[in-house]
Amino acid sequence: MVAENVGFGLGLRPEHFEEIAASPGKVSWFEALSENYMVPGGNPLHWLDQIRRDYPMALHGVSLSIGSIDPLDKTYLDELKALAERVQPLWISDHLCFTGLRGMNMHDLLPLPYTEEALDHVADRVRRVQDHLGRRLVLENVSSYVTYAASELSEWEFIAELAKRSDCEILLDVNNVYVSAFNHEFDARTFLRAMPKERVRQFHLAGHEHRGTHIVDTHDHPIVPDVWELYAEAVRLFPDVPTMIERDANIPPYAELLDELDEARRIADGVRGEAAQKAVA
Amino acid sequence: MTLVSNAGSLADLQRAFQDYLLASSDGFSAAVRDTKKIDRVTLLGVYRDAYTLRLIEALTIDYPGVMAMAGPGDFDYMARAYIAAQPSRHPSVRWFGKGLADFLATTPPFDGSPAVADMARFEWAMGEAFDAANAEPITADVLMALPPEVWETLTFTVLPSLHRLTLTYDTPQAWQRRDEQQAGDLEVEEAAEQTDWVIWRPERLTNYRSLERDEAVLLDALIEGRPFPELCESIVELVGEDQAMARAAGLLRVWIEGGMLASFAH
Repeated sequence: MVAENVGFGLGLRPEHFEEIAASPGKVSWFEALSENYMVPGGNPLHWLDQIRRDYPMALHGVSLSIGSIDPLDKTYLDELKALAERVQPLWISDHLCFTGLRGMNMHDLLPLPYTEEALDHVADRVRRVQDHLGRRLVLENVSSYVTYAASELSEWEFIAELAKRSDCEILLDVNNVYVSAFNHEFDARTFLRAMPKERVRQFHLAGHEHRGTHIVDTHDHPIVPDVWELYAEAVRLFPDVPTMIERDANIPPYAELLDELDEARRIADGVRGEAAQKAVA
Repeated sequence: MTLVSNAGSLADLQRAFQDYLLASSDGFSAAVRDTKKIDRVTLLGVYRDAYTLRLIEALTIDYPGVMAMAGPGDFDYMARAYIAAQPSRHPSVRWFGKGLADFLATTPPFDGSPAVADMARFEWAMGEAFDAANAEPITADVLMALPPEVWETLTFTVLPSLHRLTLTYDTPQAWQRRDEQQAGDLEVEEAAEQTDWVIWRPERLTNYRSLERDEAVLLDALIEGRPFPELCESIVELVGEDQAMARAAGLLRVWIEGGMLASFAH
């Protein structure tokens, strides 16, 4: 990875604003949810500005709807650009999905069919968004629960090809790979190995809810051992990529997330130690 | 019903998927696969349930007072009716609940409980004040330094966060008690007469208080951008000609000291 590895970060959540501001230096960076700060003023922007003074920050959106057949939302893109000017983020990410059409927003990350038609459509929109923002976009693989009969490519082929055609980067959500691999019965390691090394910009880690026959990506639990194991594999493949833990519901105390982040550090250090030993041997 | 073949175009598939979430058509199920472990309808149910539950959650966060009045069962019923009537059209779920008070006030059976619409109106205004644009309130000393002739044409603007409400029920008083009772038990008394309220956020904390009738009339005239002499005139009927100017000047001072005014011009 050419870009700097900013290390280990957390999602910026209002429940932790005061503690973060009172105890700087516990994490290396934060990821702020773009839409939460597309407001005129008040407390959210107050804390965003204050915490930004102490930490590098990435912006992570949920409503770009890069795959939608609706026209790109110019107002949304302008607001995102204005927010980026305020935050000067490390990078701007969103999800490889669509979130609605006919002007509606389902507020969910709906998977796309992995077809040539979709690939052309999304690649064109990514290029236009990148032109508008004046920077590369970072797109995240989503957890999904259904597979389209129409899909012609695997998800990993689709993502790798999209990155190549549109010159975007990849936010590799290790939990989402795990969830989708279980749900759609593919090998998670095949997915990881197919990601173009130079384009993986960030890792996400999160918890989920296992329902026996399928897994739902709830982001409301600690990370499970299988996902930690897959994370180790991801670090083996992409050793210099920043890691971040996402918790969106059932938000635990800040200290608990810091402990979970220490586990990520421990695993990544272990993997890098192995690699260094191999190199010496 | 939208029928979708296995080889549906991107547009067909997206339309069918969204229609499935909105429960207006089940045709999308033909476009996705069962897995070895589970059938596609159960998997699609994850999306359909999540769509509704996410929006109900957003309303629960924005309307704790309505929840305290309605209780979880009635709140859920009300929220589902609102979601069906007014799907979200904004990139942020933050704005989804904007139309709830009007919906409750005009849609049977909810229009039979006007206190709930009153609560929704109050809570939405509080939410809007919370993250409205910031503005530095003006201070009294700047105004005191103005030469007397300026007052003939002097106009004011209020903070962007300032909202004026007229409520029929003792909604703000009940809202303060929203966490004290079990959800569903919060009772809201009808006020002796309609009461005027103002909500505003001078810095980071949102304030609200009731207004005397003459104060409400004067504030509304100020918000309309009328100059100081007309502000005085607006309350002549209520306080008498001889008291109007003194009362107007006194209230201006109260608002400035409370951090409600953003700017003046002359």
